[in-house]
Amino acid sequence: MKASAGAAGLLLFQPPALALAKESQTREDVAMLVDVTKCVSCWWCYAACKNYNKLPETIKPDPEQPPPLSTHVWTTLKPVKKGSEWHSRKLACNHCTDAACVEVCPTGALSYNKLGFVQYDKEKCSGCGYCAEFCPFGVPQMESNKVSGAAVMDKCTFCKDRITNGEQPACAEACPMGAIKFGKRDELVKEGRERVAMLDKANTNALLYGDKELGGLHVMYVLDDVPEVYGLPTNPEVPPASMVRDVLKWVGVGAAAAIIVGFGLNYIVAREAMLTSQLPGKEYMRKKEEEKEK
Amino acid sequence: MTEPRVVERFKKRTICLHWIHVAAFLVLIVTGAILFFPGLGGAAAGGMTRLIHRIAVVFFVAIPVIYAVFNPRTAWHFIKETLTWGKEDMGWVEAAPLYYFGVAEEKMPPQERVNTGQKLGQLIFLITGILFFISGLIMWFFKDTAPAGLFQWCVIAHDVTFLLAFLMLLVHIYMGVIHPTMTESFRSMLDGKISKKYAQSHYGKWYDEISESEK
Repeated sequence: MKASAGAAGLLLFQPPALALAKESQTREDVAMLVDVTKCVSCWWCYAACKNYNKLPETIKPDPEQPPPLSTHVWTTLKPVKKGSEWHSRKLACNHCTDAACVEVCPTGALSYNKLGFVQYDKEKCSGCGYCAEFCPFGVPQMESNKVSGAAVMDKCTFCKDRITNGEQPACAEACPMGAIKFGKRDELVKEGRERVAMLDKANTNALLYGDKELGGLHVMYVLDDVPEVYGLPTNPEVPPASMVRDVLKWVGVGAAAAIIVGFGLNYIVAREAMLTSQLPGKEYMRKKEEEKEK
Repeated sequence: MTEPRVVERFKKRTICLHWIHVAAFLVLIVTGAILFFPGLGGAAAGGMTRLIHRIAVVFFVAIPVIYAVFNPRTAWHFIKETLTWGKEDMGWVEAAPLYYFGVAEEKMPPQERVNTGQKLGQLIFLITGILFFISGLIMWFFKDTAPAGLFQWCVIAHDVTFLLAFLMLLVHIYMGVIHPTMTESFRSMLDGKISKKYAQSHYGKWYDEISESEK
């Protein structure tokens, strides 16, 4: 029963990727829709992520003390008690459209996949940690040596190799409650809005988080309360400092070029003057004064 | 034609300090600047250039500090000289365009050990050195403890400082090595000597002072 549902699910989710392969010209973002009201905190997503990405095991998570994101925890839960129920928000990279991490990554280790998510090429990582410091969600995790500074970052990869092969990310496939849906972003936005509209009848705090934030996240959330309750900032921003860097670079290149051109001109003029004067200045001055005195 | 180079401009240890500092700075520039260009950023993959940057900075900071510890008086003079600005500097500013373009030496008032332009260079290198040190220190040792906002602005501060220092370095190289009137400047940073004539025409006040004290 479950297997066939899974297979049916797979079939359902295959079209986006296949369609993409056919229409390679059009960019069709994929996304995840996480519904906290459906989550029962079973931690299957966590286990599936660890299993698929071969991350070292930790002890079975204690909901009272959920494991924070780390270099070997790429997704975890933030359990929130709502009345007598626990609603957990799945926590992982949100794969922003305007991603501060991509903006500041100096080596190109972080970049945008044509499917919209933020892909990560670990081989290229220099360990500078700018992504970790600029991410408005605090997602990228570093493990570093304090003295040498040697470090490597880790974060959710959106299971790139799976979704480019028409599969779902491991966490989405594992979720038994349908609380993590994977598919075309447009469709999931629509679905999320419908879900919020439904919830809205009972709960006016319900909202869809991520359809507009940071140009549109590729992990969106159906929430039954204000974002802060689930550890999400209401108005996430790309830190202004990351924009300044881009401007600075071109100011620098421009100024250096201007100075070098200026020096070139100066050299031509000064050399000419030097050749025609022939006399060291002070002697020239002395001679002039002597002439005056005469 | 060639003047005997008899005036001691720099001591051997100062020349050593200068060139070790240069070497460290060049390594720092290369390992830092690649981060600005996506095409070159790949060279930083694996973190080797970050390690080199840290090793180089130890020399960059330690060498001047050691020098200052063993030559406190010279260091103190250097700082005092760098921070002393007055009306006389205006004379240089007024004469500079004609001097550096037209080689109009007669308009240039006699200069101290370093002229106003060089003093400005020293000031910029001193300030940028301190800014580099503070922002770099925070990014190196307080990454986990400093608030993210502080770290972000340290990155920017390091960038702006680099820009200033790098542009100043371009000016320094051009003036020291290439400009047509600086005929003895580069050599003096190799063997420490300049000719009497060069000393008189470039650093008249300083030359008078040292020949006074020799008497």
